[in-house]
Amino acid sequence: MNFDLSILQYEFMQRALISALVVGLCAPAVGVFLVQKRLALIGDGLGHIALTGVAIGFLTSTEPIWTTLATTVAAALVMELLRSHSKTSGDVALAMLFYGGIAGGVYLTGIASDKGVANLHSYLFGSLLTAGWAEVWTIVAGGTAVAVLMLLLRPWMSAICADEQYARVAGLPVAGLNLLLLITTAVTVSVSMRAVGLLLVSALLVIPVVTVQQFTGSFRATMFGAMGAGFVIAGAGVMASAVQDVPPGATIVLIGVAAFIVCAALASLVHRLRRTRRRHLPPEGEPLEVELPVGG
Amino acid sequence: MPVIATRGATVSYGGRAVVRGVDLAVEAGESVALMGANGSGKSTLVKAIVGLVPAAGGDIELFGTAQRRFRDWKRVGYVPQRTGAASGVPATAAEVVGQGRLAHRFLGMPARRGDREAVRRSLEEVGLAEHARCAVDTLSGGQQQRVLIARALATDPDVLIMDEPTVGVDAETQTALAEVVAARLDAGCAVLLVTHEIGPLTDRLDRAVVLADGRVVHDGEPPRPVGEHADPRHQHMHPHPSPDSVPEPDGTAPRLDFGRSSGTSEADLWGGE
Repeated sequence: MNFDLSILQYEFMQRALISALVVGLCAPAVGVFLVQKRLALIGDGLGHIALTGVAIGFLTSTEPIWTTLATTVAAALVMELLRSHSKTSGDVALAMLFYGGIAGGVYLTGIASDKGVANLHSYLFGSLLTAGWAEVWTIVAGGTAVAVLMLLLRPWMSAICADEQYARVAGLPVAGLNLLLLITTAVTVSVSMRAVGLLLVSALLVIPVVTVQQFTGSFRATMFGAMGAGFVIAGAGVMASAVQDVPPGATIVLIGVAAFIVCAALASLVHRLRRTRRRHLPPEGEPLEVELPVGG
Repeated sequence: MPVIATRGATVSYGGRAVVRGVDLAVEAGESVALMGANGSGKSTLVKAIVGLVPAAGGDIELFGTAQRRFRDWKRVGYVPQRTGAASGVPATAAEVVGQGRLAHRFLGMPARRGDREAVRRSLEEVGLAEHARCAVDTLSGGQQQRVLIARALATDPDVLIMDEPTVGVDAETQTALAEVVAARLDAGCAVLLVTHEIGPLTDRLDRAVVLADGRVVHDGEPPRPVGEHADPRHQHMHPHPSPDSVPEPDGTAPRLDFGRSSGTSEADLWGGE
């Protein structure tokens, strides 16, 4: 594999790289809150719904990024309403998103079978070739807005994701922030689909976060570190994809998974070495406190 | 004007009344322990007071305002029933305590000096000043509990509502808690404490309200520890039947915390003291 930077003189490569780098920065900025809220799979759910959005784009001959944005944001609103106002549990609502999204997408692309369905593949796994400059600027604008919003609201978002009950008693606008988190996730999914593809979008939300948190001790460092890691992983993935002529979603995610495995192995090694000098010893002279489980 | 007032408060879960017509008043600067066995409804009552569960009937007022219309939540410091301070992503003790200042800040604006000062002071009050930059998941269970108490203090509350802050925590944390409560009472803050045992706090409590089966059965003098429980050196053991031998208190052994299962009786919840 040769990393020949001359491929960057092609305009399509510049477009692909810019969108991937923006997405690499903004996806972990949202993903860190989803991981904290233990909602890591929501990105996948919205990615599946986005397939329906893409199909609506084909059917109506509009730019799929706009129909996808509209569909995922609408799905995010419905999700949140279901979660907060009915007895439907979060994972049931999520399951409905998965099934409904894929089924709707397949059904609608079936109807629109004569209208450019051939490039559906490029939405599922990403593509270097398809985006025009107008779309790239939409991706840059959307991605930047998401990243800036998440950076500014970091302490509030982190508070509602860590302990929603406390956040409510503290008087924070929990419902609004929850909704905002879902909407920014929907925007992220929509702007990421060209770079990583709908089926792999969730990986870019989650992998950079879980990779850097092997080493970080603060939320702030985790968020910034994850954005940096996402930037590097997405950039490297696009370059590798161009060199080998494979969909960029696959290379980005494989590089991310490899980074995670390497970091996890390193972290466990470091922890083993450190175990001999732990920083927080349990308070001294304390009784052994065990509560034995009764009757199993 | 009481800081907390409930009149005939009733809370039901799925049609079953858990709290039935409770009248409770906590005056400014007063300290009240809310006691009772498991399932007596004391935690549910507190959740209704702070608005986490809806009341099916009766009135709940905070600072003289009906709780539904109450918006000045930064006057309330709340310590939820113990869940641990750690979440899915690492966070430092100072970051968790900083959540207590968010109600004082405009959305999206950076922390001001007063906010950082309040965080530092709160961590110092619970004896964790030197752990401010440590990740909370590396702290012991008792230290995490103190982080949550510091978060409630950071908002500079006029009333501190604590839901079982002493269950299963170490002696150091219980002492720290008693000192914190005493210091805040001296500063004029009211305290409502849900607890099984009042331990080191006995002398500072003005009243104890005891619930049984969702009703108030006692409102007055806090109960005094009797017999061997009164001995300050007394170590609580867990007297429930167990196939294994009773564990010996051992300062050097690792602390095991199995959390609290819902089916345990009151006796199981007497943590070390």
